[in-house]
Amino acid sequence: MGRIEKHPILSIPENRKSVKFFFNCKELYGYEGEIVSSALIANGIKEFAIHQKNDAPQGIFCANGQCSHCTLIIDGFPLKSCVTPLKAGMDIRTLKHLPELPPDNRPLEYYEKRELKCDVLIIGGGPSGLTAAMELAKLGFSVVLVDDKERLGGKLLLQTHKFFGSIEDCYAGTRGIDIASKLENEVRTFSNVTIYKNTSVVGIYKDRKVGIFINNRNYALVSFNGLVISAGAREKSLIFPGNNLPGVYGAGAFQTLVNRDFVRSAERVFIVGSGNVGLIAAYHALQAGIQVVGICDILDRFSGYKVHADKIKRMGVPIYLNHTVLSAEGNGKVEKVTIAEVDNNFNPLLDTAKTYKVDTLLIAVGLTPVDEFYDMANQFGFKVVKAGDAEEIAEASSAMFGGRIAGLEMAKKLGKDITIDDSFSEKAEILKSNPGKIFRRKEIKLNENFQPVIFCQEEIPCDPCTSICPIHSIKLEKIYGNIMDIPKYEGKCTGCQMCVAICPGLAITLARKVNDEYAEVVLPHEFIPDFKVGDKIPLTDQEGVFLEDGEVLKIRLNKKFKTFLITVRTLLKNGANVAGIRIQDKSVTEPLPEPSFNYLPENGIVCQCEMVSVKEIVDYIKEHHVRDVNQLKQIRVGMGACGGKNCSTLLPRVFEMAGVDWEEVTQGTKRPLSVEIPMYALINEKVVE
Amino acid sequence: MKKFDVAIIGAGSVGLPLSFFLAEKGLKVSVFEKMPSEGRGQNKAAIGGIRATHSDPAKIKICKLSIEIVSRMEREYGVDIDWIDGGYLYPIYDEKNETALKELLKFQKKFDLNIDWIARDDIEKLTPGINRGNLRGGTYSPEDGSASPLKLADSFYMLAKNSGAEFYFNEEVTSMSLQNGRITQLTTNKDRYSAGIVINTAGASARDIGKMVGLDIPVYPDSHEAGITEPVKRFFKPMIVDIRPDKQSANYYFYQNKEGQVVFCVTPYPKIPGIDIDNTSEFLPLVIKRMVNLYPRLRNLRVRRTWRGLYPMTPDGFPIVGYTKEVDNFLLAVGMCGQGFMIGPGLGKIVSEIIVDKTNKYDDILEQLTLYRSFSGEEILK
Repeated sequence: MGRIEKHPILSIPENRKSVKFFFNCKELYGYEGEIVSSALIANGIKEFAIHQKNDAPQGIFCANGQCSHCTLIIDGFPLKSCVTPLKAGMDIRTLKHLPELPPDNRPLEYYEKRELKCDVLIIGGGPSGLTAAMELAKLGFSVVLVDDKERLGGKLLLQTHKFFGSIEDCYAGTRGIDIASKLENEVRTFSNVTIYKNTSVVGIYKDRKVGIFINNRNYALVSFNGLVISAGAREKSLIFPGNNLPGVYGAGAFQTLVNRDFVRSAERVFIVGSGNVGLIAAYHALQAGIQVVGICDILDRFSGYKVHADKIKRMGVPIYLNHTVLSAEGNGKVEKVTIAEVDNNFNPLLDTAKTYKVDTLLIAVGLTPVDEFYDMANQFGFKVVKAGDAEEIAEASSAMFGGRIAGLEMAKKLGKDITIDDSFSEKAEILKSNPGKIFRRKEIKLNENFQPVIFCQEEIPCDPCTSICPIHSIKLEKIYGNIMDIPKYEGKCTGCQMCVAICPGLAITLARKVNDEYAEVVLPHEFIPDFKVGDKIPLTDQEGVFLEDGEVLKIRLNKKFKTFLITVRTLLKNGANVAGIRIQDKSVTEPLPEPSFNYLPENGIVCQCEMVSVKEIVDYIKEHHVRDVNQLKQIRVGMGACGGKNCSTLLPRVFEMAGVDWEEVTQGTKRPLSVEIPMYALINEKVVE
Repeated sequence: MKKFDVAIIGAGSVGLPLSFFLAEKGLKVSVFEKMPSEGRGQNKAAIGGIRATHSDPAKIKICKLSIEIVSRMEREYGVDIDWIDGGYLYPIYDEKNETALKELLKFQKKFDLNIDWIARDDIEKLTPGINRGNLRGGTYSPEDGSASPLKLADSFYMLAKNSGAEFYFNEEVTSMSLQNGRITQLTTNKDRYSAGIVINTAGASARDIGKMVGLDIPVYPDSHEAGITEPVKRFFKPMIVDIRPDKQSANYYFYQNKEGQVVFCVTPYPKIPGIDIDNTSEFLPLVIKRMVNLYPRLRNLRVRRTWRGLYPMTPDGFPIVGYTKEVDNFLLAVGMCGQGFMIGPGLGKIVSEIIVDKTNKYDDILEQLTLYRSFSGEEILK
């Protein structure tokens, strides 16, 4: 636990002001203005609150202001620590059960109603919202764009990896964080776009107004003619015993702590879910100097890109397919996690259990669109479009395109006579594609000249290697005739290494035969090398199988792509097979000698806000003949701060466990507010500091 | 065709307790509800207050009985419905209202209601930190209280079901057949049924049900918005009702429920007729400035959720209860004017006794609440 001092990709801010604060009267230090929860986690504090139900400890959960798990008593006030900036001298205390409302009896002296007007209100300043804003601004519409974060870019800000897609359409090869800056700079050139950062949407109202909560301080009502919903996605939760322990949270929250706040939030993590989010979270953990003990997935194949999975395996992280998590256990926080293989019906085989010592368990089992604003606006008959993950979960590359289309569609709805180029939606569709077939890699014979060796055999929408090659020697096999096709090398190689540096999947090396015994291989490396020229380092094949310890010949940093290019000497026979450098020792990933766990699946928590377990809900469904999710409100399911955002995706499974067909069940009613907002903000009362 | 002693139309604040009291007396009871589960019409929109301190004899009597029933739910039936006897407080800031409420007190005391004028300091003990500027005192009725509408609806549903009542959810009554001035058959979107007595407890839809047998029951819904905050430790006791009107609202009221959440509601002025229950942007800024003005420390409390519900209003603000003259076996328990939650339990018990025991001890109530009154009066204390 602590701070990330150095990072291969991110520049750690220097000269931050260190300030003293108090946690339960203990003196601690953090950086002025950083988020309180991050300052605490950097100080090794994980337990923030004690829930009134069963005294359950609570830690950081969404890191996004949506739930209230991280509420602390800060200078006497109950505040969500994940959205509260740290100040010198703050008195922070654990919240036990319900907070006391401070006796602040100053009479109300000033209030006002704030109103804004625009042609189009865009909710969410991620890749799709930003591109939609620009399309609309170009056409002369006045746009208000709100985003709940400190910086624009949405999830791009957390993405330290290079992007897939194509250079021309979506900045392929550029890192997410850098794309965010490019888009922000671009959108800021439009004077008809007004941006509200740190601003959440509170509610969409029937009288065509949206209430927004600005800077944790003010409330304004925005009138609009059209609405673009680009609010992104939220992470799905998972039910297992111990899923409410501090130290269990979403991969997105983890990325926020690590990549935004530069907090080394864990020593050892285990990850559930092998989609791109889980795989990338593992990569980000390794880059932050956090050990990744393993990744498990209940399916028999990983659901992310093969190049991502391969990369992770090469680093030395095992991926356990057909495995599920049995439990997370520990005293007040996660200390160990147990996984087991599943049978064909996804039931765990307890005799295959393996227990690992970890302090953090990341959940990356998929995303659901944040589309409730869209549904509500639609129901009210507003002119509304959705874009990005709010429309359909896909890569940010496709979101950028989808945003442009959404912007144009909105312009059309507002009466602009424009035609939307068909190629736009074709491209968006391609960029959205799930991975396709995996082909066998052809044997490659090395010669004295460098040539690219391509470890990319799965159909994914990506082709920057073909554009970057100065003499166009990398082309796509013509099967679909689009960027889903597989790249192949043909012709000559100048040895410029650009394809190695740009490949988002780190799936290209350059290799040549030196003599009959040795080969030379140039490998991409996104870690700060902990070796020097002349050292021997462990090299693996494409999928992480150890091949040999090879000698480092050269270390070079490609500044544009922030990628190290490491030249190593290998045995000739390995030259065309070496694909990466193992950076994590095998001992890190060993389970405990004996599994140790309590398997009590009914103890898993469904409603995290109100701590309602599977057993409580199943019993209630049976006893009260529940066929309407709203009935569960009687046992407080969905009545907490998050308003059912987290548990609603879990309910089909819970009803199934109670023997009720989900098809028969009436869905829960969604009502504003979508985030809690203090009364002083609702009336814009002036603060007296 | 299924036959029942009683068919109740509407599983809401009135229909649910009524179904239980009738089933408990051994009648074969059916309840038809167009919504998918119990209490999903306006019951769920109630904020939970229950008071007997009304300004007319019928509602005082009925609600006294409601409090008796609700406050004993846990003891008698073992169900926790979050009852709190926090009382109702009307803080008064001007002479006109002081005079009016003191006048009303005389009337209320005639009915043995536990209510009195209390001094400013006593008000502050009940509600520490309340705005004292110009506060003259107020009336306080310690025996009134609150309960959870969700839990109370579910409890009556379970009690009724366990006593043999049959519930038909997602089943809307679409027509009723009349023969010789009696309802002989109910048709729903799914099936047909017959019943000895048909009771209209359809809340906001009461008028539509009446039309099926050719009656025009004057129940016209208007809408009110409500909200709830995050939970905090209990810091004030009563339901606070501020009866001072302002430009956009007649009055507003709030209390802290058993979970520690502050629940609040406003009476819009002018009224918003109709059955729209979608949230509007007007509500929060309007009600919050009034609440923080009255009770400044609320400013730091976070609002969690809002909703809008219907008040099935009658022209004079009083319910309509009793058999109809035109249709022999048709009984009305409608037009609760936004007080169905507090009237329901008592009224359910009374109507069950009228039907089963053929008692005449409630004739005065029936006389006041008859469909055949002039509807020209107006409630003193709304």
